[in-house]
Amino acid sequence: MSVQTPNLEPKGIQGLGKPIKRKEDARFIVGKGTYLDDINLPGMLYMALVHSPYAHAKILNIDASEALKIPGVKAVITAKDLAAAGLSWIPTLAGDKQMVLADGKVLYQYQEVAAVFAETRQAAADGAAAVQVEYEPLPVVVDPYKATDPDAPVLREDIKDKMEGAHGPRRHHNHIWNWSVGSKEETEKALAQSEVRIKQHMVYPRSHPAPLEPCGCIGDMNKATGRLTVYMTTQAPHAIRTVLSLVTGIPENNIRVISPDIGGGFGNKVPVYPGYVCAIVGSIVLGAPVKWVETRTENLTTTGFARDFHMDIEIGATKDGKVTAMKVYTLADHGAFDAAADPSKYPAGLFSICTGSYDFQKAYAEVDAVYTNKAPGGVAYRCSFRVTEASYLIERSMDVLAHELKMDPAELRLKNFIRPEQFPYPSALGWTYDSGDYEKTLKVALERIGYYELRKEQAEKRARGELMGIGISTFTEIVGAGPSKDFDILGIKMFDGAEIRVHPSGSAIVRAGTRHQGQGHETTWAQIVSEELGLDVDKIIVEEGDTDTAPYGLGTYASRSTPTAGGAMALAARRIREKAKKIAAHLLEVSENDVEWVDKKFVVKGVPSKSVTMNEVAFAAYTNPPPGLEPGLETTYYYDPPNLTFPHGAYVCVVDIDKGTGEVKVRRFVAIDDCGTIINPMIVEGQVHGGLTEGFAIAFMQEIAFDEQGNHLASNFTDYLLPTALETPRWETGHTVTPSPHHPLGAKGVGESPTVGSPAAFVNAVVDALAHLGVRHIDMPITREKVWRILRQSGIDSF
Amino acid sequence: MKLEYSGQEKVQAEPEKVWRFVQDPHKVASCLPDLKAVEIKDEKNLVATVGVAVGPVRGTFKFNIELDPRPEENKMLVRLRGGGLGSAVDLTASANIIGQDDQTTLLDWSGVANVSGPAATVGGRVLDAQAKRLIETVFANMGQKMAEV
Repeated sequence: MSVQTPNLEPKGIQGLGKPIKRKEDARFIVGKGTYLDDINLPGMLYMALVHSPYAHAKILNIDASEALKIPGVKAVITAKDLAAAGLSWIPTLAGDKQMVLADGKVLYQYQEVAAVFAETRQAAADGAAAVQVEYEPLPVVVDPYKATDPDAPVLREDIKDKMEGAHGPRRHHNHIWNWSVGSKEETEKALAQSEVRIKQHMVYPRSHPAPLEPCGCIGDMNKATGRLTVYMTTQAPHAIRTVLSLVTGIPENNIRVISPDIGGGFGNKVPVYPGYVCAIVGSIVLGAPVKWVETRTENLTTTGFARDFHMDIEIGATKDGKVTAMKVYTLADHGAFDAAADPSKYPAGLFSICTGSYDFQKAYAEVDAVYTNKAPGGVAYRCSFRVTEASYLIERSMDVLAHELKMDPAELRLKNFIRPEQFPYPSALGWTYDSGDYEKTLKVALERIGYYELRKEQAEKRARGELMGIGISTFTEIVGAGPSKDFDILGIKMFDGAEIRVHPSGSAIVRAGTRHQGQGHETTWAQIVSEELGLDVDKIIVEEGDTDTAPYGLGTYASRSTPTAGGAMALAARRIREKAKKIAAHLLEVSENDVEWVDKKFVVKGVPSKSVTMNEVAFAAYTNPPPGLEPGLETTYYYDPPNLTFPHGAYVCVVDIDKGTGEVKVRRFVAIDDCGTIINPMIVEGQVHGGLTEGFAIAFMQEIAFDEQGNHLASNFTDYLLPTALETPRWETGHTVTPSPHHPLGAKGVGESPTVGSPAAFVNAVVDALAHLGVRHIDMPITREKVWRILRQSGIDSF
Repeated sequence: MKLEYSGQEKVQAEPEKVWRFVQDPHKVASCLPDLKAVEIKDEKNLVATVGVAVGPVRGTFKFNIELDPRPEENKMLVRLRGGGLGSAVDLTASANIIGQDDQTTLLDWSGVANVSGPAATVGGRVLDAQAKRLIETVFANMGQKMAEV
């Protein structure tokens, strides 16, 4: 639900390609946004959670008696209480189930064990601290490679004998699924026949998006009406409404989900978390609204993490650098429950985009997922369903191959790109790439940064003993999930809806099933409607996030909003224009066939002086509709995209390394993105800046690490670092435009491209700087300590 | 987080005196730094509430302590389990009690502790130094109090 504040900048009709300021920023920059914690309801109670100190332990006893003595504490619930309501376990989006509160045992550190409800936030926190839980520690599995050892402890007692999972057979009590795509036999044969082969192991470490606003929820059950209103920090309010109805049995018409302003999501706010369920149950049981807002530690330790992919790749090529085949094996650490929010048919997400921008004739990818004593999650952090891991894998590997072949990495890429005339391009792993011009984009990036001069400078510096590196990443994304024939979550097809209501005075309200968290939809959707209908952009209000008013949609994540809801918005507007044309013909007193849409007006063919504007048509729709035509001017459109979209980009990074301290300084970073048609260049640039900064953080600073007992070693912002203006490099952005042939506007989506594409550029640059020392790969995060140790081990000890 | 420590403390008392001391749970409890409360269950078991500060994790921890003297091995074992503020500590320590020629006794001790929860995660970077100081303080207090008896 959004309330817009006026923007003083006069705009008029501002359609595609106009860099207008974001309409929503007016309220954000003056502190007038309405976030979850700004909402306070009469008689509201507060909830705090009790968390496990152990990563794996039996629960022997939970004693809430001391907590209940604390003034203001109303109730304490545990798994036993939830079981009475049938809610001690809930289904995950990945076909598994997860505990809401620990049921008999805990499976990861900080797992939710009990919920305390109180009149104040402080009393709830005191109550949680007073709950006494007796544990019996059990052996812990932290290393995913040891999860399926014959003697590995059983983590999931509930399914230890169930050897058929949601995605096929399980081969061990800690194994979740095996998934593969492509021909293994043909790929292995092609690899065996290749003149050159490289193999590389690499880890994309566990990270966390850490949105500045943590997750939260207010459950508000009105016992008089039987209606449940849920305020929730969710990126997908409609999906949440349906899931809540299925899980609680409350009819969907009696559930209203409101997603207020959201302070960053990055995929962290897609899943259903135990805190949400407990706040709702608390409201139902206690008959009062219940608010729960996470602490930073709760956010970092229990909510959706990202990555944790352990990958082995083999690539074959000819001696002159033409790739022939690739084979990938990945071990995916999913934590204690499989709660990765992937489309149902794709348990490893869209990881099979791992052939990237290159024309591989043969490929095979296989992924095994395992349980460990860590929090569940898996696809958050600005990642379209494992595309980030896939892109990093192929872009890092192309540099390893270039090193092996002693070829320039830019030349190797240029030699292997899918060529423009090959689109629509069927990839070896089953996708149909819509469009792209990879060579053009890379050449723009190389020229902008002065690549060949930099190579000369690097050679001179290396001769002097100085460390400088250049890294390239020419990634291809796969976003916009997705076409209903292949894409659903829990059976719900991944289309998206848009509604437009044009008012008599020529203003409009538009609604979408998506939910922005900083992406600028209130501006972008208005621009699309302004473009299509010729209305003043300032007279178009955009509303998202209230399931009582917005059309159904699967929400905002995985760079899907513009490819899905953006398409719906354009087609809804065109449907309105069709009706408006009939009204225009009536006003112009000509046949509908004699009217055309020119320069955002309806004009009589051949008589340019005879025209009516959409404002005039809108007024007539309510005051003077043609006889026989339904009055009014509004519509809803559900858009089922025919294909995914495939944005791409070329990023080039230059680093200098301090030999004494190991500090890597990013000297320059050029990012040329191609996201098809650009709706608002300023918003796209902002998205790219934010995504590059997060990619930089992943490459150099961030890791959710655990010790051997399963202690979470990144539970706060002292241990888990966010980049500030101080360390963030200066970004140089640009774009090429290769429209998507199937999207109504030619747009492809951009939100995740920079996070997907940039980590490989950073790592490639650092490895390039150290390649002459024998370094072939370094796992992220590339900390100063890691580089310092490499330098010392390489015998470099001079400053 | 697994922590391992060892050390030696020279006590100005004969081994017999030391043995009498370590088998008295009241006396052992008095050596715990910042002791808030103690409940002696029996001659081998006590529950101690102590003030703990590990970085930003500050408050009281409650420990179940089991004393396991083994005079025939000249060894004293101590097992401790408990915690607070969402953190948990499991510790096993042993001390060889070795009489010296000069009427003194050497406590040759070692301990392994597993720390979980915020004390390990939030206080991780200071935990090692803090825990080491805590253990050293316990043995220093013992040395001092044994000499006084």
